[in-house]
Amino acid sequence: MIRVELVKLVRNRRTWTTIAVIDALPVLVAVLLAVTDIGPRPGTGPAFLSAVLADGTLFPLAALGIVLPLFLPLAVAITAGEAIAGEAQQGTLRYLLIRPVGRTRLLVAKLVSIMAFVVLAVLVVAATAYLLGALLLGNESVSATGPASVSGSAMSTPELVGRTLLALGYAMLCMLGVAAVGLFLSTIARSPLGAALGTMALLVASTLLLTLDAADVLRAYLPTRYWLAFVDLFRDPILWRDVLRGVLLQLAYVVVFLGAAWANFMTKDVTD
Amino acid sequence: MRRWSVVVAGTLLLVAAIAGVHRLPAAESDVGAAELLRQVRGAEDHSWSGYIETEGALQLPDTDGFSDVGALFGERTTMRAWWHDGQHWRVAQLLLAGETDLIHRGDTTLRWDYERFDATLSRDPAIRLPRTADLVPPVLAARLLRGVDVDDVERIPAKRTAGVSAPGLRLVPPSDLSSIDHADVWLDPGSGVPLRVEVHADGADSPAFTSQFREFSSARPSTDEVSFEPPPGVEVGFDDVLDIADAANQYASVRPPDRVAGLERAASSDQAVGVYGRGMTEMIAIPIRDREADPLREQLAQTAGVDRSAERTAVSVGPLGVVLTGAAGEGGWLLAGTLTREALDRAADDVLADSVFLGDR
Repeated sequence: MIRVELVKLVRNRRTWTTIAVIDALPVLVAVLLAVTDIGPRPGTGPAFLSAVLADGTLFPLAALGIVLPLFLPLAVAITAGEAIAGEAQQGTLRYLLIRPVGRTRLLVAKLVSIMAFVVLAVLVVAATAYLLGALLLGNESVSATGPASVSGSAMSTPELVGRTLLALGYAMLCMLGVAAVGLFLSTIARSPLGAALGTMALLVASTLLLTLDAADVLRAYLPTRYWLAFVDLFRDPILWRDVLRGVLLQLAYVVVFLGAAWANFMTKDVTD
Repeated sequence: MRRWSVVVAGTLLLVAAIAGVHRLPAAESDVGAAELLRQVRGAEDHSWSGYIETEGALQLPDTDGFSDVGALFGERTTMRAWWHDGQHWRVAQLLLAGETDLIHRGDTTLRWDYERFDATLSRDPAIRLPRTADLVPPVLAARLLRGVDVDDVERIPAKRTAGVSAPGLRLVPPSDLSSIDHADVWLDPGSGVPLRVEVHADGADSPAFTSQFREFSSARPSTDEVSFEPPPGVEVGFDDVLDIADAANQYASVRPPDRVAGLERAASSDQAVGVYGRGMTEMIAIPIRDREADPLREQLAQTAGVDRSAERTAVSVGPLGVVLTGAAGEGGWLLAGTLTREALDRAADDVLADSVFLGDR
């Protein structure tokens, strides 16, 4: 079942179109930075972007900072929204369930497929950004001692690669939380668009509430609260506090919303 | 239905677990106020490290030269700090996409700004504006405790801070001139290091300023943690003048009086800028030029509750009072501190009456 879903994902032209659209923004930013040599003012713009003119090896992280707040979750919300509601809308869900496959397995296969999409998207963005960073952007601070951490200490290249991989893994986990919410809404909504919009509404509300002091009591529960904590992996020493909290919060979202998706889908009266 | 019950029960359990961690009750301590005062004073040279959050409700005017101060007292700031002693420490202000570190060694401070990719060294001036390192709980508490006697303290209930039950101590200003109603300090029962400090203005329900550890260790940090080597490609610059207060103190050709509103000038402020009083009753008087005074005057004029006359603009923000003398187009004296409005007005009168102009330098 999982294999079938993965093959379907990889063969679907829309998968690659969506990834290309996500990738287009960091590519455009890299080209503009390389052509104009004008970076964002210090303290403005996405994480690490002001540093990439001096050090192109940081561009995969800057690209992550560019796509993580909106593009990537939007794509995940659309893909997750499609999972069940899309099949129902096309009238194929009934036929899927006729096969000797349990609903739980179908749900798991759908989640694995969404996660495969996330992994593909993040890896493509990171790989493209690495190439563009190396070819187009600066390499002033790349020396025998390597680039600098956010705290100003030198990082060796293996250290930078290790931390970058951790950051990519963390971003993927954050998107797993989004996927779980989208999958749950996909078991409820009649249309995939409704499920995707519902997921995005939750994320936009979370981002907005984070800026509001009056919503302080909710901060610890908001899904986007720790998304940008991957920056803490580049401090010296690494600040694990928010990263660990982010991991636990995302796992909590995954458990709760996958559980809800499972409870709803198992008892759902499928007619489409 | 049974499946939904499992999901709902699991969700409630998770929410309760997250909420419960934040609401663990604090174990009360029977240590008296005098003993706590002795402990907190004895811990002033103690080493420590930790993760700190400050939260200010003081909406100060945002003008060039003072914007960092406004952010420090009016917003939430998160920091990591490693403290050997008063001479060797590092305080890192954590920003969403960067970090600004202050690394102190002897009588110099190095400032690392990741977003500007810039390292700057400066000597410690006699007078300067507040910075992040002044607001970490042990340093803030030490400042508030100056001049406080055993008669000015009382016990308050313990509070769970940084994972420990911290006994609390209330400090009441010994002087009637202070605009602070009280300051509360909770300290680590093991080391006596202050873990949380709240400053309350007269008549306010919530604190005007809070500084607290979220994570704390009383172990001595390693030498590496309080050190800094500039990264490859970065040349360390040198700042002759740290901020507007330092500049005025070095170059303004005026001397403020030795005593204003009944408060003595601090021995360390023997040039153009005067610092008066101490602890919870402290005020600074800075002579500023028209080019800095005018925008500040305009900003003050737009602040809620401003009291403006032809020759004076005054604002009270929580316990912090600000008075700027002079009319539009003129320089003036900027007085700021935790003094009552009447005391600040008296201080402004005294500064204007008794300052000595040294002539052009």
